Amino acid sequence: MTAAPYNYSYIFKYIIIGDMGVGKSCLLHQFTEKKFMADCPHTIGVEFGTRIMEVHGQKVKLQIWDTAGQERFRAVTRSYYRGAAGALMVYDITRRSTYNHLSSWLTDARNLTNPNTVIILIGNKADLEAQRDVTYEEAKQFAEENGLLFLEASAKTGENVEEAFLEAAKRIYQNIQDGSLDLNAAESGVQHKPSAPQGGRLNADSQPAKEGCSC
Amino acid sequence: MADVKVEVPTDSSAVIHSSSAASQPNNPLSRKLNKILETRLDSDKEMLEALKALSVFFTENSLRTRRNLRGDIERRSLSINEEFARIFKEVKEELESVNEDVQAMSTCCEEMTSRLKAAKEQTQDLIVKTNKLQGENHRLEVRAQVAQAFLAKFQLSNEEMATLRGSRDAPITEDFFKALSRVKHIHEDVKILLRTNQQTAGLEIMEQMAVLQETSYEQLYRWAQNECRGLTQETCDISPVLTQAMEALQDRPVLYKYTLDEFGTARRCAVVRGFIDALTRGGPGGTPRPIEMHSHDPMRYVGDMLAWLHQATASEKEHLEALLKQVTLQGVEENMQEVVGHITEGVCRPLKVRIEQVIVAEPGAVLLYKLSNLLKFYHHTISSIIGTSVASLLITIEEMHILSKKMFFNSLSLHASRLMDKVELPPADLGPTASLTQTLSLLREVLASHDSSVVPLDARQADFAQVLSCILDPLLQLCTVSASNLGTADMASYMVNSLYVMKTTLALFEFTDKRLEMLEFQIEAHLDTLINEQASYVLTRAGLSYIYSGVQQHSAEQGPLSLLPSMDSSSVKAAMVQFDRYLSSPDTLVMPQLNFLLSAAIKEQIFRQSTELVCRAYGEVYTALTSPANGYKDLENLLPRSPKQVQSLLS
Repeated sequence: MTAAPYNYSYIFKYIIIGDMGVGKSCLLHQFTEKKFMADCPHTIGVEFGTRIMEVHGQKVKLQIWDTAGQERFRAVTRSYYRGAAGALMVYDITRRSTYNHLSSWLTDARNLTNPNTVIILIGNKADLEAQRDVTYEEAKQFAEENGLLFLEASAKTGENVEEAFLEAAKRIYQNIQDGSLDLNAAESGVQHKPSAPQGGRLNADSQPAKEGCSC
Repeated sequence: MADVKVEVPTDSSAVIHSSSAASQPNNPLSRKLNKILETRLDSDKEMLEALKALSVFFTENSLRTRRNLRGDIERRSLSINEEFARIFKEVKEELESVNEDVQAMSTCCEEMTSRLKAAKEQTQDLIVKTNKLQGENHRLEVRAQVAQAFLAKFQLSNEEMATLRGSRDAPITEDFFKALSRVKHIHEDVKILLRTNQQTAGLEIMEQMAVLQETSYEQLYRWAQNECRGLTQETCDISPVLTQAMEALQDRPVLYKYTLDEFGTARRCAVVRGFIDALTRGGPGGTPRPIEMHSHDPMRYVGDMLAWLHQATASEKEHLEALLKQVTLQGVEENMQEVVGHITEGVCRPLKVRIEQVIVAEPGAVLLYKLSNLLKFYHHTISSIIGTSVASLLITIEEMHILSKKMFFNSLSLHASRLMDKVELPPADLGPTASLTQTLSLLREVLASHDSSVVPLDARQADFAQVLSCILDPLLQLCTVSASNLGTADMASYMVNSLYVMKTTLALFEFTDKRLEMLEFQIEAHLDTLINEQASYVLTRAGLSYIYSGVQQHSAEQGPLSLLPSMDSSSVKAAMVQFDRYLSSPDTLVMPQLNFLLSAAIKEQIFRQSTELVCRAYGEVYTALTSPANGYKDLENLLPRSPKQVQSLLS
């Protein structure tokens, strides 16, 4: 009964943004299917994937919206930022231009999401060390200056992919715990399930449940 | 023993007597003595015992006592015997009493035996009966076991019964499903009974189970319905038990459908509420801002609404998948699509009202076009979730798409008809008119937005033809009308300029090949005019046109050309001098209209081809004049340049 895959306490909404061809869809695919998609077609508009993972002992369902990187879809993809609890901002470590565009993506993300949205910067294609065009330190500094989480990952090898989604989820969970993320409000990007399934549930979440119970 | 003892002293005294008597062998005394002597005292136990007994009372060995010994012994023997007799008497009495007792026992036993016999005779019947009963008991026990097994197989336990017949609002648990599946199992198994000769039992159990099944399903349905009715929050918690309930209910299509309906209705409420909240309340603390805050920006407004609905639709589909994941029924996918369609039905009205408002506010052709593309995109995107079933949401989006498209084309036609209302005269520089450039920039914008639209290629191509004919055809007409009062060269230049601008505008976009070809064709037609005009302009100015027409009109019957008036050597000579001047600087003779041409390439082409015409004309003139039949003299002086020379000078 506890093994039922729909037994989760929270739903976190994520959005993946970044230039065309940095591997957003591949990251999502690697995360949800644990496989590398070699010939990934361009995303049309937005696509969607889910996975349940454990964060601090809580089952959390991630609902991930993968946006198209092409400029012509910007108008469409912008509408998907609202109500995201986490944003994965991706660049390609072998293409400097994708890194240079980050500030524009960040501006979009800041303007269109809520203040509590957790943004994590991901340098993808970390397996192509020989073609590296953006150093780790440089990106790390950018992330620190802007208060972003940061990881280098590879959708091809799967390295750090899991961690990227998990790190953001941990931060969101922390925000819930310390009360800075108000679950009561609509479009916080997090849904909480106050009526716990009969399966064993930890006491740890009784606190947020208190906030979320009236919804 | 006592007798022996008594005798011994007698013997010993005898011994004593005999020893003192004669020792002759025949002497009885000696014989006796011998006998005594031969007696081995220590081995004669009797003797030892006798002596031992004697020593008890014969304590004083005196004459008197010795004399009295016999008497003593006899007395003693007597007393002992008396004692003996007394004791035996006692014993006898005892024995007699024992005998009596035994006698009594014997009678008693006999009596008992007889009674037992009687009892036995009496109970014989009973024993037979008991045996029979025991046998029966055993048989019954076996039957009881069989019955127990039968019941275990074909009937529910009390607990199961209680679970199934719980109170109306009792929560459904795992046990309920176990019991329910047992009922189902029994119902199945009973069919075996029907094949045997236990048909009555089979039928009865079947009926019982059927009734039980019905009531249980009904209870399950009521519970599930209630459970679904509560799922009106944005968070939709599908409990595993509810999932199981749906799995069980699939056996009762009607109940299953009703439960799904209930679920759909509840979720529909939730989605409508969520949508309205997103429209009017926005996120926590107003970020993200409510969607309606962007209603001044139609693209953003409509885009945000549709994106929200797209996400909500995806989530609802997920919820349904969770709810129905254990259902094995055929057509679950269709069911889900149907229910998602039902769930999203509620938002159609508010969505429609808002989009209609935006469209009817006439935000301009370009925006209308963008909107229509956006709507088309979302129709495509959402239908990949809902499926192709006729969902209201899709219908609404499609309606809005059609409306926006219609309004777009209306706006284009309106623009075109306004153009035709007041036809502008071509400007002095014969360039494109203001209304032309303006319309073209509109077209450019529309095409550009089309280009960046998210609609699939084939759909785009179809749209293009319509847009192009809606804008280009009236434009062409407009140009023709406004050029109608111009002279040939002016008109041709003006038309070439206008067409050229259209062509360069279109060339930037895809799917315009056909139109471009057509424009190219029209340009060519006007180019021919311009080339001829330019050539005759040059010929006239270079003084050759007169000679050329003379040459062309001349026929052999008229005699030699040189004899014709105005074709004499001096006139020809004068013309050739003039022509020579042109040859030295051919660029000076350009029709003024050509300078107004916007495209240098076209101008160059006209220049080149008209020059070719001039060369050809000169060639004809040269051939005619050098012909001996025409009787010109001093040809070298008269025509210093060969056509080849002219050509090389001009090219």
